[in-house]
Amino acid sequence: VNTARLLASTWSVDPLAIVACATAVVLAVWAGQRRTGSGLACLLAAAATIVLAVASPLGVIADGYLFSAHMLQHLLLLLVAPPLALLGLPAMASVPPTAPARLRVRPIPTWGTWALGVAAMWLWHAPTLCNAASQSAFVHRTQEVSLLLLGTLFWIPIVGPRLGRRLRPLTGVVYLFTACAACTVLGIIVTFSPVEVCSVYLRPTDRLGIVPLLRDGWGLTPERDQELGGLLMWVPSCFVYLLGILGLLSRWYRTAQDDAGVAHREPA
Amino acid sequence: MTTTMSPLDASPDASAQAALETGPYSWVATVDHKRIGILYLLTSLFFFAVGGVEALFLRLQLSRPDSHFLSPAVYNQIFTMHGTTMIFLVVMPTLVGFANYLVPLMIGARDMAFPRLNALSYWLFPFGGLLLHFSVITGGAPAAGWFGYAPLTEMPFSSTPGTDYWIVALLVLGVGSVASAINMIATVLTLRAPGLIIPRLPLFVWMTFVTSFLIVLAIPVLNAALVMLLIDRRLEAHFFTHVGGGNPVLWQHFFWTFGHPEVYIMALPAFGMISEIIPVFSRKPIFGYEFVAGSTVAIAVLSFGVWAHHMFAVGLGRTADLAFAASSMLIAVPTGVKIFNWIATMWGGAIRFTTAMLFAVAFLIEFVIGGLSGVTLAAAPIDWQVTDTYYIVAHFHYVLFGGTAFAVMAGIYYWFPKMSGRLLSEKLGRLHFWLVVVGFNLTFFVQHFLGLIGMPRRVFTYPDRPGWGALNMSSTVGAFIMGLGMLVLVVNLVVSRRRGAPAGDNPWGAWTLEWATTSPPPPHNFSELPPVQGRRPLWDLAHAGPANARSAAGAIAGAAEGAFEKSAVAVWAFVASEGGFFLILILAYLYFNAPRAGADGGAAPTLDARSAGLFTACLLASSFAAWRAEKALARAERSGAVAWLAATVLLGVLFLAGQAREYVGLWQHGVTVSSDLFATTFFTLTGFHGLHVAAGLVALTVALGLVRSGDCTRERPGALRAIGVYWHFVDAVWLVVFSLVYVRPLL
Repeated sequence: VNTARLLASTWSVDPLAIVACATAVVLAVWAGQRRTGSGLACLLAAAATIVLAVASPLGVIADGYLFSAHMLQHLLLLLVAPPLALLGLPAMASVPPTAPARLRVRPIPTWGTWALGVAAMWLWHAPTLCNAASQSAFVHRTQEVSLLLLGTLFWIPIVGPRLGRRLRPLTGVVYLFTACAACTVLGIIVTFSPVEVCSVYLRPTDRLGIVPLLRDGWGLTPERDQELGGLLMWVPSCFVYLLGILGLLSRWYRTAQDDAGVAHREPA
Repeated sequence: MTTTMSPLDASPDASAQAALETGPYSWVATVDHKRIGILYLLTSLFFFAVGGVEALFLRLQLSRPDSHFLSPAVYNQIFTMHGTTMIFLVVMPTLVGFANYLVPLMIGARDMAFPRLNALSYWLFPFGGLLLHFSVITGGAPAAGWFGYAPLTEMPFSSTPGTDYWIVALLVLGVGSVASAINMIATVLTLRAPGLIIPRLPLFVWMTFVTSFLIVLAIPVLNAALVMLLIDRRLEAHFFTHVGGGNPVLWQHFFWTFGHPEVYIMALPAFGMISEIIPVFSRKPIFGYEFVAGSTVAIAVLSFGVWAHHMFAVGLGRTADLAFAASSMLIAVPTGVKIFNWIATMWGGAIRFTTAMLFAVAFLIEFVIGGLSGVTLAAAPIDWQVTDTYYIVAHFHYVLFGGTAFAVMAGIYYWFPKMSGRLLSEKLGRLHFWLVVVGFNLTFFVQHFLGLIGMPRRVFTYPDRPGWGALNMSSTVGAFIMGLGMLVLVVNLVVSRRRGAPAGDNPWGAWTLEWATTSPPPPHNFSELPPVQGRRPLWDLAHAGPANARSAAGAIAGAAEGAFEKSAVAVWAFVASEGGFFLILILAYLYFNAPRAGADGGAAPTLDARSAGLFTACLLASSFAAWRAEKALARAERSGAVAWLAATVLLGVLFLAGQAREYVGLWQHGVTVSSDLFATTFFTLTGFHGLHVAAGLVALTVALGLVRSGDCTRERPGALRAIGVYWHFVDAVWLVVFSLVYVRPLL
């Protein structure tokens, strides 16, 4: 087996990928008149990200072969697909102040969505859960779906369709920065840890006969694999949060909001 | 709004008050941000002279090969003191001094959010400097470099108290820095003039604001590492020595996790000064305000993820090297964006080359050189080649002197008229400028070549290799030219303060709020505040006529109606800082107690999880009681609040008693802080937590007194709320500690 063969032959038809594509089409149709070009592009990108994460060779290698591939899949499902999908939704009107109280409060408080988003990163890398996800198809599927759901909850306060419910810029920056810090801490632990986070990846069950390729051809020994996984969790994920921060700031400068969230117009 | 009164305002006797306002004592007792700012700047200037003379001694020693002008021991001490002085006693306090003086003026405030805390932050600085220099008469200054690499700083290799003084001085200075950063955050968030929304902040204020977050988060990392080192040295523990199972590389990780953000702590405010000065002397608004402001945040976030590029030579492995090389190159992007913004601001502008502008333009050139050599160092293989050579010395002096110091000198020429009411002499200024530019480049540019041909740094002398002597001599000559230039600056400051041309309110035709008041400003800063409808209020005012100026009283009253409450902002910033401190202690605990392959089980067999569970319950109950106390105060039930607070204190004391009992039990079994790494990390983590509980109890007792005496009421619950946040934080930390230390071994 060589790299080209591996990349060409391991695409699969995955139910989650099909659901993702179908949902993207439904959302695009539902948006109808309010659909914008960039919104459609975001929806398509979100669907493509999910396909890449679960139905491509990445999904296969992530399933018990390489911890680093698993981490990449994890990031795509938690940090890339959900915000893209949310950005693809048409903006919805703010809840009017006359609406019933139950519609005006956030269903989950901000610290709650933050905690859920960070927990999705920390809990699935507890050794027991991490191993279980690679050994049971059911747990694996639960993991994928939960990442998408928790990721969506995490990103709603930042890029959710209800503009009035988004966090104020400064709060949003703190929200994302602290999430980045939480990821960084775990990434540091995984990268420099002397123990294996996920022992399954030490000796993969080689159902495709690709272990020699991964170990010798790609040079990914178990230690290096875990190191790379930790660095992926740490560096690229913080870049995603940083992009979010820069997005918040640019929106802030465009609308010139004050501390209470009221927009001021700049004099020309 | 309740403006904070200085003690001087409260004095009834008018003549005594006049004496207090002008005499030397008035400078000691002052809480005026302008005077404190000037004290910071003058003290920094003094230490700059000290550090500069030290540098000249180093250069004299290095002017000839195989020189014995200084002994190796003395060289190491002077070299360590030069680095430590310049970083902690010159660059940081200079920038804090400017921020102290300018930020309240630039945002149209009367003073900082916490004037007394501000005075405390200042006084910690000279006393920290005094502690550091006191080491000289205790048997020798610290001699292990400003970076204090373990194991060289450990007892067997540095046995004089110099290193201990170094540790304690840095802790004192760190506490002062964090306090002033918290103050700065609260000031910017709560005291801005009406209309001065954050997207309109002057860039110097914005960058100081962002830097304050860096200080709040980075300094505790250093503090945690310093206390571990002190425990190693004084209590015979082994965090950073191989003997006993510790790891010297861990010191480097901790130190540079602080050290790299520190680089930006020293650079970002300087960028802010440049962003104020270049537009004014180009007669154009800054090009791409949004990019300058946004890239500052990007730099701040990225700065925490690049520390290991200081450690490429340690051998972290190829994967880590690649990741850190990539992130280090990436951080050059937002920095480069700023350079282009400043150049584009000058492009097509009506440039006036005042001395301030000359220094600003020189900053651009020198900083680009330092930045480019920095990008080369981000490539791990190049770093391996030139690490520990004079190439590195050249690089960081181009960043810190060519960058920060040049920007500060531009700032001195730009803002001295505001501080003193008189202009600095342009003639002396130009002399100063050219001496410094020529001297600086002569000193440090040649060091790039010295490094590339292999001259090692941090060594007291060097062999007579072809070219080395001549290049070093030119470096020494350059250093003395620079020293001469600095003397010219001092002469200029002294002469111009007495005889300089009167400056007037706004000598440069600038447009930020500090130029709207007199030079020097009155103690209350503004009698009248112009309206703020954009980023350049004075420009708008000049083009709209003075008719719409409004009174400062109304304006400042409006400022208090913002979305932030200053005690809440301060306590959350403080909690974030403490969180960083505990994070490092916890990481050290995890690192040394992770189950290792082949190790015989966990290392925590002697702990009694059940009794620990009991006193944990006490602490949690105390959090509940604190919460009830707040609720009672909100219902204006003073006696209820007092009772619940008393219960909080009692439960906290019970927790401490339980912990003390556990400690005594361990000591009776011979388990002490130096027994093994488990005991070391256990006592360090739980001990520092215990200290925080004790501090929290003191604060709660004060709150109890305030509630009883009626100073803390439903209308003014700030104190109780702030202490409550701190207390809940201490409890939350204990939950993490408890689950890691006591519960995890049971699983």
